[in-house]
Amino acid sequence: MLNLIIGFLLLTTVAPKVEVLNNWMRPSSKDMNTAVYAKIKNNSDKADTLYSVSSTLAKVTEIHETYDKGGSMGMRKVDFIVIPAKKTFELKPGSHHIMLIKLNQDIQKGKKYTVTYKFRRAGEIKVEAIASEKAVENSSKMHNKK
Amino acid sequence: MKILKLILKLQVSILLLLLLTVSGCKSDFELNENLKGFSFTLSDQDGKTVKFPADQKDKIIVVGFIFTHCPDICPLTVNNMQLVQNALKTDGMDDVEFIAISFDPERDTVALLKKFAALREIDERNFKFLTGTRKEIDSLMSVMRIVAVTGDTTMIDGSPSYFYTHTDRISIIDRRGFLRKEYPGSKANIEEIVNDIKKLR
Repeated sequence: MLNLIIGFLLLTTVAPKVEVLNNWMRPSSKDMNTAVYAKIKNNSDKADTLYSVSSTLAKVTEIHETYDKGGSMGMRKVDFIVIPAKKTFELKPGSHHIMLIKLNQDIQKGKKYTVTYKFRRAGEIKVEAIASEKAVENSSKMHNKK
Repeated sequence: MKILKLILKLQVSILLLLLLTVSGCKSDFELNENLKGFSFTLSDQDGKTVKFPADQKDKIIVVGFIFTHCPDICPLTVNNMQLVQNALKTDGMDDVEFIAISFDPERDTVALLKKFAALREIDERNFKFLTGTRKEIDSLMSVMRIVAVTGDTTMIDGSPSYFYTHTDRISIIDRRGFLRKEYPGSKANIEEIVNDIKKLR
C-alpha cells in the first residue's frame, strides 16, 4: 500500500516537460517598448521549439535577439528558438529576449504581468513576469494550458 | 672606469623606470582628446538648456548614448551608469556628473526623458538625460564617434516603430574637458569605471 502511495506521489510530482522560470521584464511606459527575460528548462528527452509568445500588454510581441557587430549593437526578429532535450535556454539581456513593442500600459517596477509562451510540444505556458531592472532568481507562477 | 660604468648602469635603470611608468599610465587611459573647444546646446529632462560639456566644467563626466525606445541594450547602459553613480555615492564622491544623451531626438522629448528617468528611480541630482535638435545631436555624435543607424520602420497604430543599430558605449571625460576612456556601455565593468574615476580625481 505504501509503495502504491509513494508511486502515486512520484507520478503526480513529476516536473512538467517544459518550465519557464525566473520571469522578469524591464519597467517601461505606455506606447514604449520593453523586453521580457526567462529561463526555459526543457525536462523532457525530446527537443522543443518556442515558436511564439503572446501578451495583451503590447500591440506586437516578438522573439528577438541582440547582436554585436563590431561594437555596434542591434536587434533582429527570430522565428523560433529550439530548446534541446534536458537543456535550459536563457532569455537574457544582450541576447535573446521577448520584445513587447508599443505597450498598451505602463509596466511598473515590482508589479507582475502575464505573458504566454507557445511551444510545439509542451503547448501554451502562461507565466507571470515581475517588472525589475535586473534578473530575479525566484520561480514564477506558471500555468500549462495543454 | 668603474665610476663611469656605475653611472651608465644608473642611467639605464632610470630610463627603464621611466619607460615602465609611462607605459603604466597609457594602459589606464588610452585617450586624451580635448573637447574643450566644443559646446553643444541641448535640453535636459527638466527642459533646462545645457551646454555640453562646458556646463560640466571642472567635473568628471560619465557619458552614455541611448534611445529610450530601446528595450534591451540602452537600459543596461543606463543601469550601469546608475550602478557607478551608487558606488561613488557610497564612497562619498559627488563631484561626478552622469549624462545620457539621446541619439533619437525625434522621439525622445523632454517629457519622455523625464519619465524614463523616473521609471528607473534615477537620482537626478547629478544625472541628466539630454536631447536636442537633430543637427546638434549629429554634430555631437560625430565628435564622440557614436554611430546610430535606423533599421526598417513599421507602422503600428499609425505611428512609426523603428530601432537603431548603435555604438554601445560609456565614456569618461576628465575635469580638464579631455575624453579619456571608452567602455562597452551594456557590458561595462562597474569596478573598472569607478577605479578609473578615482584615478582621475
